[in-house]
Amino acid sequence: MMKIEAIIQTSKIDPVKDALHEIGVEGMTVLEARGHGRQKGHTEFYRGREYTVDLIPKIKIELVVADERVEQVVQTIASAARTGKIGDGKIFLSKIDDAIRIRNDERGDSAL
Amino acid sequence: MVANPLLGKDLRDFYTAESTRVREEFSARRDGRAAVHGRTALVDSVAHRLWKELVSPDLESPRGFALLALGGYGRRWLFPFSDIDILFLHDGGESDSELRNRVRVFSQEMWDLRLKLSPASRTLSECEKFDPGNVEFAISLLDCRCLAGDQNLFARLHDHIIPKVVARESRAIVQKLTDLTRARYNKFGNTVFHLEPNVKDGPGGLRDYNLALWLALIAAMEEQNVWPEEKTLLPPWLRQRFDDALDFLMSVRCFLHFRHGRDDNTLVWAMQDEAAAARVGVPDDAPLTASEWMRNYFSRARLIHRVAEQLLDEFPAARPSLYRQFQTLRSRLSNAEFAVVDGRIFLQRQEALGDPELPLRMFRFMARHGLSLSSATEHQMEQNLPALTAAPPKGGELWHYLQEILLAPHAADALRTMHSLRLLTLLLPEFQVIDSLVIRDFSHRFTVDEHSFVAIENLHALRKSQSKWDQGYAELLDELEQPELLYLALLLHDTGKATKPTDHIAGSLEIAERCLVRLDLEPSDRETVLFLIKHHLDMGSALRRDIFAPETIAQIAETMGTSERLKMLCLFTYADVKAVNPEALTPWKAENMWQLYIGAANALMRSADRRFHGDVEEEVMAHLRTLMPAAGARLDAFLDGLPRRYLRTQAASDVIRHMEMANRLEQDPVQVELTRGRHWYELTLVTRDRPFLFAKLVGTLAAWGMNIVKATAFSNGAGVVVDTLYFTDRFRTLELNLPEWERFKTSVHDVLMGKADLDRMLRDRLKSEKKTPPKMKVDTRIEIDDECSEQSTLIEVITQDQPGLLYRISSLFARENCNIEIAIIETESQTAIDAFYLTSQGAKLAPGHQERLRHELLTELANK
Repeated sequence: MMKIEAIIQTSKIDPVKDALHEIGVEGMTVLEARGHGRQKGHTEFYRGREYTVDLIPKIKIELVVADERVEQVVQTIASAARTGKIGDGKIFLSKIDDAIRIRNDERGDSAL
Repeated sequence: MVANPLLGKDLRDFYTAESTRVREEFSARRDGRAAVHGRTALVDSVAHRLWKELVSPDLESPRGFALLALGGYGRRWLFPFSDIDILFLHDGGESDSELRNRVRVFSQEMWDLRLKLSPASRTLSECEKFDPGNVEFAISLLDCRCLAGDQNLFARLHDHIIPKVVARESRAIVQKLTDLTRARYNKFGNTVFHLEPNVKDGPGGLRDYNLALWLALIAAMEEQNVWPEEKTLLPPWLRQRFDDALDFLMSVRCFLHFRHGRDDNTLVWAMQDEAAAARVGVPDDAPLTASEWMRNYFSRARLIHRVAEQLLDEFPAARPSLYRQFQTLRSRLSNAEFAVVDGRIFLQRQEALGDPELPLRMFRFMARHGLSLSSATEHQMEQNLPALTAAPPKGGELWHYLQEILLAPHAADALRTMHSLRLLTLLLPEFQVIDSLVIRDFSHRFTVDEHSFVAIENLHALRKSQSKWDQGYAELLDELEQPELLYLALLLHDTGKATKPTDHIAGSLEIAERCLVRLDLEPSDRETVLFLIKHHLDMGSALRRDIFAPETIAQIAETMGTSERLKMLCLFTYADVKAVNPEALTPWKAENMWQLYIGAANALMRSADRRFHGDVEEEVMAHLRTLMPAAGARLDAFLDGLPRRYLRTQAASDVIRHMEMANRLEQDPVQVELTRGRHWYELTLVTRDRPFLFAKLVGTLAAWGMNIVKATAFSNGAGVVVDTLYFTDRFRTLELNLPEWERFKTSVHDVLMGKADLDRMLRDRLKSEKKTPPKMKVDTRIEIDDECSEQSTLIEVITQDQPGLLYRISSLFARENCNIEIAIIETESQTAIDAFYLTSQGAKLAPGHQERLRHELLTELANK
């Protein structure tokens, strides 16, 4: 199984969630995040004070899926999150050794 | 001591059969009190049998050894899955090993029946020693009763030792009770009104009932040194309602235990549905929705919580000495109507309740000073409610008091007390629909009415917050011209959840409109409140978009229309989101909302120059024509070419007034009006534009010692200007000298007509004024934006506010051949924030001109 971490624009959380639900992926963790890649920050002046935002608000989605579903899930996220502009975000993959369901100790893919 | 091997099976069969009987009786009758008593009697029977089998065939033997029930078991309140606390009391005569054996075998038999037994053993002398580290034991003794064994031993404990210990250690016991209670309340957000409340530990639950009686018992014991009669612990008028509330909670807890099969006391939504369908705790047969059933819960929990809190607060030992000193100081707040004793309000004269406005003055007093009502005052209020119902305050009078309550720092607590005493729904019947209303939403924590109170509380708390983001929002709150409208909107914004749950905004607007008419609010104020309710989700929704995208910002700015509404809605969103649950407004959200706010505020500033044209804005013209049917073509001529911002910031009545002033220009070319607003004086000038006009106007005010706080200056296509200056009268000239009003207006008129020497007036003023150093240093910033307007160049000047500043800036513009098309002047503490849309010879400023102007301004403002 693989862990998929996707950092996306805040405006894309609903389309990505809906797209994942449509392919039968229900479980995910959503975190509020800030960051930047090549996307520049934002500076605004208000009442003589400077407000610089160099860490742009983002949403991070984390989910663990069985190996055979990884590619489909990655493509679904990328497709739903894409605008074509700098700042669309990134997806990272990492191997997961095991998953355990707390309620009944189920392990492996069936715990996902 | 050895158990009969058949005893266990026999007892198990007996226990199982009787438990089933208790359960079946509860299913049939839903009587919680009968169920807990029945279970108590069952466990008593088991204990008696075990005693006879294992200790002595005589239930009143042996000497020197007794079995006591403590805590809930002692009170005869054994819920289906609650713990069973017992105490083996002895006189120290037995050897340790003998005693331990008795306790072990006895307890083992009970554990074998799967009873959740918590045994303890003590000697009499150990009970007499108070252990500050185990105050819970002393509290549990307050409910002790003898199950079996030496009655004399028990009597010595019950009749002598316990009263002595309680009287001696009441302070420590009550202090511990207070600490435990405050921690418990904190855990549950200090409110009764959770969507899924805990009926045992939550505020207003069974623990609070116990607390109230313990406090009353301890107070009586402290005074009398003996056990008081239980029926004397609470006043008779309260006792019956308290017992009714207890019956309800007992039934609910029994229902939950039987349903869950364990000691789970949370009324989750599924259980609310089932309890409503089974009519748990409710005697009659009419069908009941879950929401309606929950109202039964909340009304009882509210009563229990109120009584517990009052007793906790009134018990002197519960409060540390510093707090008592503080409360003693607060007694100086007493006045002719209200006495303040230990932070609680008493009526000086009961007959004063004949005045229907007295309750409102009392709650205003409460809201201002953060006081509570004494239980006596609450009782008097409740008794007086029928009389008040017959002739309640209404209309403008009611709104006058209500807004003062809403603006006071402890508004939320005052409103909660008004609500619990049924006064709020008497005065605002529209609020009744959301009384204790549960709306099932996974993110919301509280009932709808409590959510509204928490939102109001969140705004008032801004002023005391140390958080970086909260301070920005707190500054916005201080800048609002009519914050009472914001608070009123917060109070009413979710009323529609009761009538139109799928479109609560539409429902809230309908309800709020009725309320606002009844409160006799000015039409423009009604519009503001309705606007806030209508758009209260807009900023939250925008946070789910790209907050830096120009289209997002432009849309928010366009919807808000004015900076005042933008500020109000930003604060509304802050308060509303934070009231969903304590974690809802994350720092991430707060920062994003702030960024969105400043983006939209700047967008509004940069779009101030968009002009109004009647042939394009038919809807606006149609609305104004209905208000001014006789105006005809004069209206079109007056409005044409004025910035759209003018129409958005001016009430229709003000537009009419300005138009009429413009119509009188033929008779007098300088039209001046002066009024006194709530915070500032307001001077309105309507005249034809000419060079140095704005400079002369603001210079005249500076010469009179007036401090301009805000200003707007607009001109229409025909060159008629409408300038409004909001100022404070530093030397109270106008306030203390009525004749000076006319002289002041005449002075403005004469300066603008060239009949008075402004330079001499300013020199005289400067000579007489002492220079006081500023409290904080503000660096000067000049921002020039040539892109935001097609017709003019925007210059923003942020600098140290000082007398005569606006005159110096506007004079410089005039000297540099710049015409002020629009001026938007604001002051924030010691910072002047002035925005000017300038033209030169009817066009934008050339780049070279812009830079020269920047240089001149910086030089002028650096020259003190």
